[in-house]
Order: sequence, then C-alpha cells, then structure tokens
Amino acid sequence: MISFPVYFRVRQLGPDGTPTGPARTLKCDDPGTFTVGKSDDADVQLDGAAVSRIHLSLVLAARSVAVRDEESTNGTFVNGNRVAEVALEAGDRITIPGWELEFAPVEAEAQPGTAAPQAPPAIVLSRIVEGAGAPPPGPVSQLAAIFGSAPEIGLETIRASGHPVEEVRFLSVGGGLGSFVWIDHLRCYGIPAGQVATIGTETVPYRTYQRYCKNSQIPDHERLRSNSLSRPDNIWGFPGYAMREVGKRGFFKGIFQVFGEPTLAESYTPRAGDVFESLDVEARRIGWQQMFRQGQARGLRKTTDGRYVVAYQPRGEGAGGDRLRFIVADVVHLSTGYPATRFVDDFQNFVAQHPERRGLVANAYEEHDAMYAAIEQTRDPVYVVVRGRGIVASRVIQRLSEARKKNPNLQILHSIRSRLGPRDGAVYKRAKRLVRNNVEIQPFNWPKSCWGGDLRFEYERASEERRGVILNTLGGTSTAERSDWVEIAERGAEEGWYRVVYGSISELDPIEGQADRVRILIRTPEGHNEELFAHFLIDCTGLIADIRRSPFLADLLDTYNLPRNHAWSKQGEKRGPTGLKVSNDFEIEGLRNNRGRVYAAGTITTGGPYLAVDSFLGLQYSALRSVDHLVTERLHAVPDLTPFRSLGGWLKWMGGSTP
Amino acid sequence: MTPTLAGRIQTRILLFIVLGLPITLIYALAVNDFIWFWPRMEVFFRFIATVFLIGLILDPVYIFLQTLRWDRDWPFAYQFFFSIVEFGIALALAANGLIPWLDSFDFDDGPEIWTAIWHFTVVFIPMFLALLGPLSVFFIRWRFKAAQFGKI
Ligand SMILES: Cc1cc2nc3c(=O)[nH]c(=O)nc-3n(C[C@H](O)[C@H](O)[C@H](O)COP(=O)(O)OP(=O)(O)OC[C@H]3O[C@@H](n4cnc5c(N)ncnc54)[C@H](O)[C@@H]3O)c2cc1C
Repeated sequence: MISFPVYFRVRQLGPDGTPTGPARTLKCDDPGTFTVGKSDDADVQLDGAAVSRIHLSLVLAARSVAVRDEESTNGTFVNGNRVAEVALEAGDRITIPGWELEFAPVEAEAQPGTAAPQAPPAIVLSRIVEGAGAPPPGPVSQLAAIFGSAPEIGLETIRASGHPVEEVRFLSVGGGLGSFVWIDHLRCYGIPAGQVATIGTETVPYRTYQRYCKNSQIPDHERLRSNSLSRPDNIWGFPGYAMREVGKRGFFKGIFQVFGEPTLAESYTPRAGDVFESLDVEARRIGWQQMFRQGQARGLRKTTDGRYVVAYQPRGEGAGGDRLRFIVADVVHLSTGYPATRFVDDFQNFVAQHPERRGLVANAYEEHDAMYAAIEQTRDPVYVVVRGRGIVASRVIQRLSEARKKNPNLQILHSIRSRLGPRDGAVYKRAKRLVRNNVEIQPFNWPKSCWGGDLRFEYERASEERRGVILNTLGGTSTAERSDWVEIAERGAEEGWYRVVYGSISELDPIEGQADRVRILIRTPEGHNEELFAHFLIDCTGLIADIRRSPFLADLLDTYNLPRNHAWSKQGEKRGPTGLKVSNDFEIEGLRNNRGRVYAAGTITTGGPYLAVDSFLGLQYSALRSVDHLVTERLHAVPDLTPFRSLGGWLKWMGGSTP
Repeated sequence: MTPTLAGRIQTRILLFIVLGLPITLIYALAVNDFIWFWPRMEVFFRFIATVFLIGLILDPVYIFLQTLRWDRDWPFAYQFFFSIVEFGIALALAANGLIPWLDSFDFDDGPEIWTAIWHFTVVFIPMFLALLGPLSVFFIRWRFKAAQFGKI
C-alpha cells in the first residue's frame, strides 16, 4: 500500500548531468495521474528544449506508483535506463533532459548544513477526477474500460471501441533482442514478414541492450562476455564472430585463439560494435522495419475466438492521433527484458532515505558517467569504493584505472564479502570452479554445458526444488579471465592505489557537514569494523529483474493468475518469486487459448526450464524450442526446418538475400 | 563443444559415414591410380574402421574427463589432440600385429606408413572442420542437444 501524500524531489540538471540549484518538492496528496511536460496543460510544468509537451505521467494508485513515458521525443529514464512504463520504488530517479525527479515517499527532513536558507515551498498537486471539467480519460483508463474484467474478450468489443485493429499470425512484445531472435527464427523457418509483427519501445532491436552495456562500462569497442558462435543475427551460429574477425586481426592469431580457447588462449569474445553491426544487417534482411510497431504494450487478453489481443500505445513517427491500437494474433511471444533496475536492499534504503546524496552512490547498471567525469576533473585525492566481485566490477575497475591517468590521486577500494582462496571455488559433482585473485573464474555466466550439454538435460529434468539448488550452485558471481584485469589488480596493489577490503558493508550513511562523502562501515570476517569515507560507491552486485515492476506483466499475472518460479537457497529452502513459469518449450501454459499459444523468453523466465535464459545463445535456444513446438503441434502452418531447408536458409543468409 | 556420450557416438557415426567412408574411397582410388581393384583398396577401409572403433572405445573416457572440467565441455584443442592420439593408437596396435584384420606389415615402417598418415590427415581435417560449425548448418538443434541429432 502507498501512503499519501507522496513526494518527488525535482532538480534541474546541468549539461554534465549533475544537479544544479536547489531541489523543489512535488507533493501529491491523492491518487491520480499527473502529467509532466512543458505544455501549459501539464500538471507539472518543466521547461527545456528537449522536454516534450507532455513528457511523462506519474501514475499514483493505491497499491503502486508508476511512471509512464508519454511518447516523448527524448525519452524517460529510470535510474539511467529508458523505460516505457515501470512501477517505482523509493529512491528511484526519473530523468528527462535537464531534469531529475526522485521518488521519495516520505518527506525528507530539512537538511542541516545545506546552503539554501529557505527551502522553496512544495508544489502541491491534488486532483479530483470527476464531474464536469474533468480531463478526458487517458489511454490506460480507456483500455480498462474496453477490456473490462472478463478474462476473454470478443473481437466485436475491440472493433466497437473505434481504435485501429490489425490482425497478424505472430506477434512479439518487446522489440528487443529476444523478439529479434524469435522473429529471425520464424523468418528463417519460412514465415513471410507480412504475417509477423513486433511491438517495442526502441526502433533499433539492440538499443536497450546497448544502453545497459554503456552504463556498465562496455563501450562499442570493448569485448562482450559471449561466445563466437552465439550470434543473435544467425540462427545457425556459423560462421562465428571470430571468423569475421580473422581477416582483421591477422589470420594466425585469430585461428589460434578460437582453436586454443580456453586451454591455450583466453576465450574469444566479440566486440559489442561488431554484434550491433551484424544485427543491423540481419534486420534489413528479414524486414524488421516492416514488422516493427513502435509503442508500449499496455495489456494482453485472450479473445473469444482462440487468439489474443494486445493493446499498445503508439509512439514515435506516425503515431498520429490514436491513443490506442490493437493487434490480434494467434501466437504471442513476450520478451520485455529487465523491467527496471532494482538494487540490493541496503543500497535501496540509502537512496530512499538520503536522496540528496544520491549522486555519491550508483549501481553499475545505471548511468554513472558523471562520477568518472568528476574524478577526472580534479587532481585531489578521490576515494572510490567498488562493491562486488563479478565481471561488472572488473569492468568498472578497468574504467577507474583509466581515470587514474587523468587523476593519479584516485584510490580504489574494492569491497569483497569474503576472502576466496584458490581452493574455495564452487563445487559441482567432481568439478571445481577456478579461483584467481579472490574471484571465481568462468568464461561465461554459466558453465558452458548449461547451454547445450549434459547440464542442460540435467537441469531440465530436475524437480523445481532441485533446479533451484543447481541454479544456486552453478550461478553466482564470477568473472572472465583477462590478463589486463589481472594486471590492473596486481599493479594497483603494488603501487598502492588498489586495495581489497574483505567483509560485508554493514552501514552506509551520510556524513554530517560533508556533503561530498559517504561513510561505509565494513564488518570484516574476523569481526572487526573497518570504516571508510568514500567520495563514491559503485555497487556492482547485480541487477534484479522484478517482473512485477512492469505494469504490463503485473496486469497479466493478476488477470490470469499466472504461476511464477521461485528462488531457492543452496540448502533447498524456498525463497521469493522470480520469473514467469513456462513449460520446457517456453510456453506460458496458463495463457493457452484453443489453438492460440503464448511463449516467453529472456530474463522474465528466470528460474524456469533453462539456466542461461538471459544470454544471446539462451534467447536462440528458447526461440528454437518455441518455434519447434509450433511445428510439432502442427499449429499455424509453421513448416519444419529440415536439414536441407536449413542448408537453403543458410545459403540465403550467406548471400544476404531475404529468407 | 559440450557433447554427451550419446552425442559423441551419434556424431562420430554420422561423420564416419558421410565423410570418412567417401573420402577413404577417393583416397584408395587415388593411391591405386584410379583403377578399381578391391583387394588393394580394402586395407584403407579396414584401417579407417579401426580408428573409428578406437574412438568409440575411448568416448567414455573423454566423457569422464569432461566431468572433471567445471564447464563440462570439450575444447576444440582437445578434440584435435585426441583425434591424433586415436590414430597413433591404431597405428601402434596394427604395427605390432594386434589388430587381426590389419596386416602388421602395412603399418610397420617405410613408405606405407606415410600412406596411412596421409590417409588419416585427409579424413581427419574435414571431420574436424565440420565440428567447428558446418554441422549446425544442417542440424540447427545439434549444438543445443549435446551433439545428438533430432528435435530437442
Ligand atoms: C550489461 C549486460 C551485458 C550483457 N552481456 C551479454 C553478453 O555479452 N552476451 C550474452 O549472451 N548476453 C548478455 N547479456 C544478456 C542478454 O543477452 C541481454 O540482456 C538481452 O538484451 C536480453 O534480451 P531481451 O529481449 O530479454 O531484453 P531487451 O533486449 O532489453 O529487450 C526488451 C525490450 O522490451 C521493451 N519493453 C519492455 N516493456 C515493454 C512494453 N510494455 N511494450 C513494449 N516494449 C516493451 C524494452 O524497452 C526493451 O527494449 C547482457 C545483459 C546485460 C544487462
């Protein structure tokens, strides 16, 4: 339950993204939908050339608070990631060009020590939506009225609403990498582009992924953590990315690396930019633009004729005046990715309680370039605490070591929960994970055989509880072995600018009278306390996909009472809910409707029949399973991809001709 | 590669049939100046079948080695190395007269041994290359099915 009033702290941002001037408070007394934009009609007016007339809405309901982008030209971001619509948690930062709105459910006390003599009064917003003069209902309430409360809806009802309706056979919701891979399979199996549609917020299928990469310090020229043969643009995985590169980096070096990995050489991984380039080529080949509808999916319902209807709010070019559109499809695929970044609890508490220090702490998956800029602008000593020992921590430390070239007085403190000796790696049956410099080493985020080896079979066959235990044992934090990362840690320790601090962070507080630092108390495994005063804390402990944060999925879960997977401890105790429950063919069985089928892919299926769902190859696996499922069930005329048809499709791929 | 025992055996049989046998036929003909004379060609088939059998016997050993690896995989370098080991074992056994259907004289020494080495090389290289990816062109589910064929 949300207790009203709720508050948002509104700040103006300078060109470098750091707050300028005092914060104002936005107080919302009652539930309702409030618009923000530069138009006079907006409930909250914020100026700026890059702000749209109605840029976003704050949707305050009794049980949740959400932000919704209103087809803004330049986008709405939550914690640095562009969003369509997400439920907010305390401390979340909404940014639009030039402005930041921070969700602070409790009113922060006046800050002692801040220079502002008199805090400007809060803008109070309250709205009673009834009677004459009430604004016309927004698309969400329009949709609620059309859908009603029945779990199935007749096509006549949809048509009678007067909104445009389109019919296709196959529809994918998300328009990201998972949708791309699924549609690529359909197209290569022989389904014409005219029978397929996809709804997504981004015109380019890898845009969201690229943003996550940039935030976590993987610019386009950096290498990903991915196999040569995991090509989201090629369903056969051949020729791999390595072969593409062989020409560029010298024949023998390239051949040797692929041939010798991981025994004789470091594992090959492709550059982010090369992956994007190859996706552009495949998008053109399969006619992505023709199938793509830009917009936000708002709701899905079964239809009375054994199909599905998905409502979406168009945006971007050609969105026109329609506030809602419908697509009716026989088969729907959901791949909406991470709903929004959710952070570990202590971090979330800190940002909720001390919004004014929000700039001093960041999760590595949110945009935090301003920190590096601030570090590089000075030559004063700067202390940065990096928490976590996974691959993102490796990348952040790499970025910080680059910043040291501009600021040699930068000190990196690496907070790691416990010491990890060479023999302390995870154990599964007869095998043990390698440990180097306190970090478990693994080329990819799961052991390789999880994708297509014995572990895939074993995990798929296991009971729910056993799956949970396997997931816990095989997953966990690990990083890839890269000589440059080892070198940074070793050189840094030797020269005294990199230090590992063992223990868990037990306290994270602001320091009175010092606005530019936070106090971090670390409880060491020996029971001592180590107190650190840091200018910045970068949390690299992970990204939690909380599917209820997506209003689209939350509505689906509630309407059809869909079951979810659960996390389990290593000891087999049941923990909180994770992804949507799907069958081994990635079908959401609770949504089966006569001959209609709904499938899901990606991180929203975490905890299900496959471990590596959130990876390129995992997306290909789930696409293959679900499309093959349609073939075996003889549904909707999907032809089988037999060996010779497969060869034919591949030859077309090689020649660059449309499938 | 992350094969299971069933995957190894199926893939081995397929490669033997579609690459091993036809290449051996061409090789045997080439060695005999493209004159069909079965008594002089037969030894090549017997020999390649021996290497194939030794591979099958060693497959469970490889599977055991995989279980000791955290990734439970079989790197290409291992595949390359152990293929040569299989050939070496076949050669050594034959040279010592331990393979009843192979005449030890053929593998003893001298120019015949080079004929065997070349034979192995021309069969082995295409097989190895097929594993690097081309097999997936025909069988897209192969890589997810631990090197087995058919639907997942
Ligand atoms: C930093 C990072 C690095 C990674 N690196 C690798 C790697 O090296 N190798 C690898 O194999 N995997 C990697 N992954 C994992 C995975 O491959 C990617 O996350 C991949 O993008 C997942 O695809 P997806 O379709 O699930 O999500 P996305 O690609 O994020 O696509 C989902 C899309 O759906 C849209 N959407 C959400 N809700 C709606 C709605 N209601 N209506 C319309 N659209 C909506 C979103 O805006 C988004 O554009 C990485 C992940 C991260 C976060």
